[in-house]
Amino acid sequence: MKGLFSWLENRTGIGALAKEALFERVPGGARWRYVWGSTLTFAIMVQFITGVFLWMAYSPSASTAWESVYYIQNELTFGWILRGIHHWTAQIMVVLLVLHLVQVVIDSAYRAPREFNFWFGVILLFITLATSLTGYLLPWDQKGFWATKVATNLAGVVPIIGDDLQRVVIGGADYGHHTLTRFFALHAGILPAALIALIGVHIYLFRRHGITEAKPATRVGALYYWYLLAVGSAGLAVVAYLFKDSNPPWVLWVPSLLAAGVLVRIVFLHLHGKDDNSARRPKRDGMFWPDQIFRDAIVCFAVLGAVLFFVFWKGTELTSPADPSQPYNAARPDWYFMPLFLMLKFEPFQGEFGLVLGAIIVPGVLSSMLFMMPLIGLKKVGHWVNVVLLYVLIGGFVVLTVMAFKKDSSDPAYIADVTKAHEQAERVNELIEFNDGIPPEGALSLLYSDPLTQGPRLFATNCSTCHAYGYDDDGNALDGANKKLIDKQSAPDLKGVGSREWISKVLTVDHYQSSKFFGNTNFKKGKMLEFLVDTELEEEDVTGLAAALSSEAKLKSQSDIDNNDTKLIANGFEWMGEDELACVDCHKIKGEGGKKGPDLTAYMSRQWLVDFIGNSSHERFYGDDNDRMPNFLDAVSAEGEIKQGKLDQKSVELIVDWLRGEYADK
Amino acid sequence: MNKSLPSEPIEPDDPERRQFLEKTVSIVLGGAMVSVPVGAGIATLLAPLSSDKGGSLKIRLASIEDLPSDGTPKLYQIVAEKKDAWTKYPNKPIGSVFLRRIGESKVVAFSSSCPHAGCSVDIDSDGSAFFCPCHASSFDFDGITQGKSVSPRGLDALEVDPDLLVKGEVWVTFVKFKAGVADKVEV
Repeated sequence: MKGLFSWLENRTGIGALAKEALFERVPGGARWRYVWGSTLTFAIMVQFITGVFLWMAYSPSASTAWESVYYIQNELTFGWILRGIHHWTAQIMVVLLVLHLVQVVIDSAYRAPREFNFWFGVILLFITLATSLTGYLLPWDQKGFWATKVATNLAGVVPIIGDDLQRVVIGGADYGHHTLTRFFALHAGILPAALIALIGVHIYLFRRHGITEAKPATRVGALYYWYLLAVGSAGLAVVAYLFKDSNPPWVLWVPSLLAAGVLVRIVFLHLHGKDDNSARRPKRDGMFWPDQIFRDAIVCFAVLGAVLFFVFWKGTELTSPADPSQPYNAARPDWYFMPLFLMLKFEPFQGEFGLVLGAIIVPGVLSSMLFMMPLIGLKKVGHWVNVVLLYVLIGGFVVLTVMAFKKDSSDPAYIADVTKAHEQAERVNELIEFNDGIPPEGALSLLYSDPLTQGPRLFATNCSTCHAYGYDDDGNALDGANKKLIDKQSAPDLKGVGSREWISKVLTVDHYQSSKFFGNTNFKKGKMLEFLVDTELEEEDVTGLAAALSSEAKLKSQSDIDNNDTKLIANGFEWMGEDELACVDCHKIKGEGGKKGPDLTAYMSRQWLVDFIGNSSHERFYGDDNDRMPNFLDAVSAEGEIKQGKLDQKSVELIVDWLRGEYADK
Repeated sequence: MNKSLPSEPIEPDDPERRQFLEKTVSIVLGGAMVSVPVGAGIATLLAPLSSDKGGSLKIRLASIEDLPSDGTPKLYQIVAEKKDAWTKYPNKPIGSVFLRRIGESKVVAFSSSCPHAGCSVDIDSDGSAFFCPCHASSFDFDGITQGKSVSPRGLDALEVDPDLLVKGEVWVTFVKFKAGVADKVEV
């Protein structure tokens, strides 16, 4: 065994390398505040591991990206944990980056001779953000799609090269397969490779110059850190308080208690006049292994704990598949881009120049200031300028982020959009389960052939100019998509069309003449109304007639009562006959009868409705008596002209199936 | 945090014991935290092991009259509904089968996948035998290896439903078998 080790050592020098890596002197002893670089290394390692495994299941194309992520999230064993760790580690990494930066700046570890290391660190910061940004698109869901659209449009406003830059980034004039393949190559190839290379340089430079030794002149007392911790946890508590309505109570209590604990500690330290042990007495030097690594390991473990906590608490969102025709108004960038997102709404950033100013110049200047820090900090005054600048930046970041989220959480339109997006995401999952898989064209096609999703949209666009679909609590007519009608309702309410209830109402004079039915059409006067007024149907008659007519619709929701009430239905049909109410004088019923009124054979069945919507001026329906109902499918007029329909066959079928309640339902 | 400060720099009570503790904790925590992402990853990597087998599929391929009466095998494509990870294909080619009519009423079916290494078996140029172009295995029309074939077994016969065959319909149960072994093992 020993021989093997010495042979390995002789040929590779691996032992010496390990020694070199582990047995690094830590001047002034190991400290908790040195852990941030290690936590970042750990986080990046986690991202690499989980990223490679996700890669094995991910498929970057416009018709498979969402689908493969759906598979990872919902079907692959432990896939949701894998994706959850990757997602939440990316979030926490941003926090760790900021902590690392703060630590370096307040310890003035960016000063000569460590300028280059600082610069590499800042570049690493930007590469990490770029990796997050590219990763956000990869699930190809509504959220990532629309947020990335905004981000790449911002690239388009870069002076001179903007248009070309945008075209190169998204791989063409429009978003599609090549946007995904490019973003994926960036996210999983180029950017990680750059990260590894630069981290190598970063750590090499760090080791070359060693840990910034705590010199008395630049020493920052432990009390300073306790104050920072107090401000940090109090800030967190304030933020938690601002959003206390949307979180469980402990989200407020934990940072509050932490802040209180830190304050007690500070008071204690003041009372005993020991602001910092190490400031008074130089601590013995420590070693990287095991003194510092021990602290690193504990904090890294806590980081992982936090990640897992979020994976289980919040889960990992996958909104519905990207749909360029359905604007997703709740699209937001990842939370750490929210300040920029909000900033662009402010007045100084209006207009074309404003956008360039807000999206490019301001972030550019701030980044440049970050880069300049080692030069500014050469003098002691400069150092304090840097520290103040950093705190102002972080403070501004926090305030803008809170403002952005606060604004959203009190915006009913935003909340409605989020709710709609969630419902749609759930609907896709339902459809996939119902279909036992996703069609080769992709998951979006399921939504597009789903009456429950498309019916309301098509109805709102094409039918609600005249028709209503139910009413809200205040009695306002609705358009199918839960919005109030823009124009006055001028044609029947179609909610529950064909059901016994709906038909019963049609057979009552009041409803028939009301604006909820024919009140605002030519049919408010006519033979049918005369009939209803003259006949004065009994409630019993109405029940029977409605049961009979409604059975022709063959509604899924009524299959049980249609099957049970055979007697009632048979009676209803009998009453319609010549000897009783004589409906057949005007209407065809079961294929027999007059032609003056609409044919009631298979009334409100799928085919009847499709034909009716297709062309209600057909002699089978209203003929020349038709009021304003357009033909929605191609039709030939009495003069032999072809009248182009407003919709295609599939859309009409979707509306009909939705109206009739014929869709995949649990 | 000691209440009474000694005037000397603090000496750990027992540096070796402290270091041992630190090392143990570091290694245990380090192992634990690497095993979480690696474990989740390995679980997804090995997920195919617990997924369902390919299974069998009974499918109608032809009428008995469609098959040449002289016993020449004819290749039929198997097209079926297939689920591939997340995608459900309504009609996807999943394999092919040779059908051969013997006499008036008997039909045999062979999987076209070579039992040697899974290449696609074809009929040789002079139309007298099955031949696999990859490693030159040859099988007679009864599926039995002949000549210097490297295949460890003959072509895999598939079940033809005898009851439906009486009615003139050729229904075959399509199954896949493990390549490279002497026994016919379903996969």
